[in-house]
Amino acid sequence: MFWAEKEETVSRDELRSIQTDRLGESVERAGKSPYYRKLYGKHNLKLSIKSLEDIRKFPFTTKDDLRASYPVGMMAVPMDNIVRMHASSGTTGKSTLVFHTIRDIENWSNLVARGLYSAGVRKSDVFQNMMSYGLFTGGLGLHYGAEKIGALVIPIGAGNTQKQIDFFNDMKTTVIHITPSYLLHLGYVLEEKGLAPSKSFSIKIAIMGAEPHSEATRKKLEEIFNIKVYNCYGLSEMNGPGVAFECACQKGLHLWEDHYLAEIINPETGEVLPEGEEGELVLTTLQREGMPIIRYRTKDITKFISGKCKCGRTHRRIARMKGRTDDMFIVKGVNIFPSQIETVLMETPEVDKNYMIVLDRKEGLDILSVQIEIKKDYFRGDLNQLKYLQENLREKLKHVILVTPVIELVEPGSLPSSTGKAQRVIDKRRL
Amino acid sequence: MGKQISIFVENKPGKVNKITGILEKAKINMKAMTIADSGSFGIIKLITDDNEKAFNIFREKNFLVSFQKVVVVEMPDKVGAFHKVAKILEDMDINIEDAYGFIMEEGEKAALILKVAESDIEKVEEILKKNNYRSIENFNV
Repeated sequence: MFWAEKEETVSRDELRSIQTDRLGESVERAGKSPYYRKLYGKHNLKLSIKSLEDIRKFPFTTKDDLRASYPVGMMAVPMDNIVRMHASSGTTGKSTLVFHTIRDIENWSNLVARGLYSAGVRKSDVFQNMMSYGLFTGGLGLHYGAEKIGALVIPIGAGNTQKQIDFFNDMKTTVIHITPSYLLHLGYVLEEKGLAPSKSFSIKIAIMGAEPHSEATRKKLEEIFNIKVYNCYGLSEMNGPGVAFECACQKGLHLWEDHYLAEIINPETGEVLPEGEEGELVLTTLQREGMPIIRYRTKDITKFISGKCKCGRTHRRIARMKGRTDDMFIVKGVNIFPSQIETVLMETPEVDKNYMIVLDRKEGLDILSVQIEIKKDYFRGDLNQLKYLQENLREKLKHVILVTPVIELVEPGSLPSSTGKAQRVIDKRRL
Repeated sequence: MGKQISIFVENKPGKVNKITGILEKAKINMKAMTIADSGSFGIIKLITDDNEKAFNIFREKNFLVSFQKVVVVEMPDKVGAFHKVAKILEDMDINIEDAYGFIMEEGEKAALILKVAESDIEKVEEILKKNNYRSIENFNV
């Protein structure tokens, strides 16, 4: 049972030849953007692609390169042909933007549809999309894919738990798209209301994305709700969700290789690793028009799973993301870098140089606490002064990281000093 | 003009104990203490017989500590004494931000500590003086 049988079950040989052709086209298309035109010139790159290995001659593209190309430096078609923009938060102020043509949206929707279909989603399903809409790709990406399949889509977005529950009941929702932390929270809320999550609704499938989670968390959630939970991987630079998707076998995520060329590299040396070894995932768009990206370093750590999948799809599978090569962490589905928080703290004169970010989870909800010390010269012995500082920092940080933090004022000397490599993030959550 | 010492503390068991222990060790006599708290943290306010010494010790020991200007006024230890002072300030349209006190001599004398806006302190001391109240600068006598 496939959404696009021919493409999904294409032989490996044929897939390789398709990839080679498309790679040639993609590097050529990318060359029409100011960024890649300059890059190709600088490295004197020959664009004739004869084999997939030729990609290794091209330098990597990083998040910093995207940021430096803000706003339209990587756009490869006239702006007139762009129909959609998405953005993801950056480490410093500026977002990174991604542009789509109408065909890009069509392709993206089809890839998501492939994944949803492989997990068992059908036209008769009621699909409640509990992921944020907006610049973030999670909401709209799955919305378009589920609509493509013909499911009834409820674009409710994240939050407003009571309303979510009302629709579960009234619309007999069968599929939800949700972050693992929100699904955990939902379990607590239902239990508090005296409802048994395993018996209460018609939900049979949860598509889980935006936050890395363990196999143990999946199993736990499947038990609590008596549903099947499938993992969905993506990143805005590569469209968003739907780059790789778990099929009903639940043994790794099929990465759609007719749209993405995947490499796994040693993050330190940049060298491509033998198949099956763990390293950083590097992706090249093969079909995108609006903003082709060559060898994008995702900073996500995974490996290829060898062997054929029982489902019949020939596209290689990647393992659940194991972590990151940088210090990014995810809270409530939002990517956050410690440096974003540090910048705000250091711009606040009352705050001393040591700080600590503590991530915890209460009743399934992520809590981000920032512990700070007050500079001695700023302390006036006034409680209101401290409360105002707390409030002010909370608002400033919320503006930058899009998550409301808890600001904890602690006594001088309670936090590890900044000499050497102090650990600034403690993650007490277990996902 | 009097002074109180304000110390920042996290709202955790043993914090007051730590502070009183430091005072005892330094042989500083604590006259009054009050705590203002805001959930996870608070401020302990102290009046001692040697505020300078106490301040320096807390600062040395890495506490977040500061002096605050307050009005310390001596008044009789009897019914209605505070009310009289409060009335005088009300007539002057002075807002009392914080107030606490302690007995100096049972049935005779009490000390009242008043926190008012810094710009009002001089005015308050003057009017209290006019009404025959004595302001206490320090208790180190």
